[in-house]
Amino acid sequence: MNVPGRAALELRAVRKVYPGNVCALDGVDIELVPGEIHALCGENGAGKTTLVEIAAGELRPTSGSVHAIGNVGLVHQHFELIGRLHVWENVVLGFEPRRGVRLDAEAARARVRALSQSYGLELDPDALVEDLPVGIAQRVELVRELARDPAVLIFDEPTAVLAPAEIASFFATVRALAARGAAVLIVTHKLGEIVAYAERATVLRAGKVVARFGKGQIELDAIARAMVGGEIPALAERVVTALGMGLVARDLEAGQGAHALRSASFEVRRGEILAIAGVEGNGQSVLADAIAGVVPSVGSLELEGTPLQGGARERIARGVRTIPGDRQREGLIVSWSLVENAVLGDQDRPPVRKGIAIDRVAAGRRAREIVERFDVRTTSIRTTVATLSGGNQQKLVVGRALAGAPRLLLAYQPTRGIDVGAAALVQSSLIAARNAGAAVLLISFELDEILALADRIAVIYRGMLSATMLRDAFDRGTIGALMAGAQRAS
Amino acid sequence: MSEPAEFLALALVKAAPLIFAALAGVLCERAGILNIALEGQLAAGAFVAVAAAAATGNALAGLAAGVLAGAVLGGVLGFAATRFGVDQIVAGTGLNLLAIGGAAFGLVVIFGQPGASPSVASLGAPGAHLLIATALACAFALHLVLYHTPWGLRVRACGENPRAVASAGLDPKSIRLLATTVGGALAGLGGVYLSLGELNLYSDGMSAGRGFIALAAVIFGRWTPLGATGAALAFGALSALQFILQRSGVPSELMQALPYLAALAALAGIAGRARAPRADGVPYVE
Repeated sequence: MNVPGRAALELRAVRKVYPGNVCALDGVDIELVPGEIHALCGENGAGKTTLVEIAAGELRPTSGSVHAIGNVGLVHQHFELIGRLHVWENVVLGFEPRRGVRLDAEAARARVRALSQSYGLELDPDALVEDLPVGIAQRVELVRELARDPAVLIFDEPTAVLAPAEIASFFATVRALAARGAAVLIVTHKLGEIVAYAERATVLRAGKVVARFGKGQIELDAIARAMVGGEIPALAERVVTALGMGLVARDLEAGQGAHALRSASFEVRRGEILAIAGVEGNGQSVLADAIAGVVPSVGSLELEGTPLQGGARERIARGVRTIPGDRQREGLIVSWSLVENAVLGDQDRPPVRKGIAIDRVAAGRRAREIVERFDVRTTSIRTTVATLSGGNQQKLVVGRALAGAPRLLLAYQPTRGIDVGAAALVQSSLIAARNAGAAVLLISFELDEILALADRIAVIYRGMLSATMLRDAFDRGTIGALMAGAQRAS
Repeated sequence: MSEPAEFLALALVKAAPLIFAALAGVLCERAGILNIALEGQLAAGAFVAVAAAAATGNALAGLAAGVLAGAVLGGVLGFAATRFGVDQIVAGTGLNLLAIGGAAFGLVVIFGQPGASPSVASLGAPGAHLLIATALACAFALHLVLYHTPWGLRVRACGENPRAVASAGLDPKSIRLLATTVGGALAGLGGVYLSLGELNLYSDGMSAGRGFIALAAVIFGRWTPLGATGAALAFGALSALQFILQRSGVPSELMQALPYLAALAALAGIAGRARAPRADGVPYVE
């Protein structure tokens, strides 16, 4: 359907070239119709965020036209809220009700209450935003946009931080908004959601629209193929492994406050992948840091029958290797070369260390091995890591973790923000490490990834770990309920 | 005057410039600009006020010029920090050196004598008292502005998350620029108090580290106008104590260090417990 004049938002031949001649968008047409939920999908770097920012008027296109028939509201992936202000202050910022020269706080609170009632989005105007759980914080951002009476509402990866139950209620809200006549655009990489909730879908790849799906045409495999531009590589085969004693944690506690790890007892055997499922912010990062020896912990940790003690350095020497959650901050020194990054962590033992110096030949060999085995696309191993794409940086991190034949591999969100092809390679290498007899602990917020890789699953919620489930007994519904805090019936 | 009354009066006298500078610090930091140029703004306000008073023979003209000088320095800091993304510590340090050095140079150029200016028309005792009252009034006024006006909300929002301010359709850079300019004017007024209120001349080193004590007062007062004013009053009381105790024979060098030692102790004690505005000192880049 392409009826001119009916669109709430119309982008025509939009092109965006960033400094350095990087073309993020190349002639994109898209139109949003009132009352419809439109999905925008594509891999990382396809240009989704640029498109959304142009649509919301936060960014100017290099050429092309943007035409909206009213306000465009954008609910950001990383909420743009102010934690130490109250809900009402966040909502009215920029168009504050006044009484004389004063800010009319009562009128502002009333405005928030009216909006939250009208849309069925329960909110306490006097809550401090930083005290709110992430699902409610998203509601604040949504109400803030609704206060501006938008004709178009755009959500950038809205479900990335939500538990499955919250996702359902989020989409109920979005449907209600569309039913009231808003044009809705949802940016997501979760294909299941597109199929379940969207009426139309547009797929971006490398800055161009490569496929459009109209009403009744949305089909999961077709969208996935369009996003990748071909078939998705298959995962490595899992082989039957001889399970051996790996990591044993008993009553592990670490960290403080809302994201603390309160109590975790589990075992990761050699030759298996134990996956920890959960919504971000439930203690996962502290758990990973405690095992890696980056933060102090209480409770007992044993690796292959011997207590795992000391800091990160001692633990690396024991064969604990990590794929950290944030490759640029915790995994790599991006202004250093591939060679230097490839031997980080191994610099003080042979073969990398020779006498008091680093053996440059051995280091170069290590870097070349990783580049070849993990298909790291780079012009040279002497170039800085900053020149690599996110996916290639992650392949380097994974390659380094696996280079020393790890005893325990700790993988935290190993495929975050990388394209499907690179993700499949990373996931396959986790399976390969398991097949080779490593104990693999996978912490991920992506349930699909966990279901594809895990031999056993435990769910973390507010710093507490559930009992583990075996691969044969995986059940999406049960896991989803545990992620949302349901008590386990046992 | 009885001794306690004398002490209280002296405490207020010593606290007044600290209050002005601390309020300036609160306003700037709540907007997200770390203003370590308070010292320079005090010195500039003090010197320019004396120069203008000498030129016109009118202390009120001196006051206006001193306030303007502070505002200009504040504006320069804000402009450098927002439009050019200059590191705020570097910019602030540069402005401190510029203002203090400029004043020393100005003494030679304008008055033909290094070290101190000759006496000029001052605001006198009534003027000084009025400025002390103004300092206290400014504390309450800034409290009302920050917490009960739309602009105050925007300033506080800028200090926490300028990106959110931008996404609400506002320009965080303009808000920050205005905050540092108004802050500079307040600190300039503190300088005017030093040269034309308490005395009737400018001398080198007159600001005597008060701008840095004020920064400590900002932290000690948890970035609130009333809290910072309370802290400034406490530091003022310590300075007053120093004068009283000197008469009783305690070594004066030790006593002069008292406010600074207290500031250090206060900062050490409060470190980790007070939370600075999240975007304090963090440049906003679009």
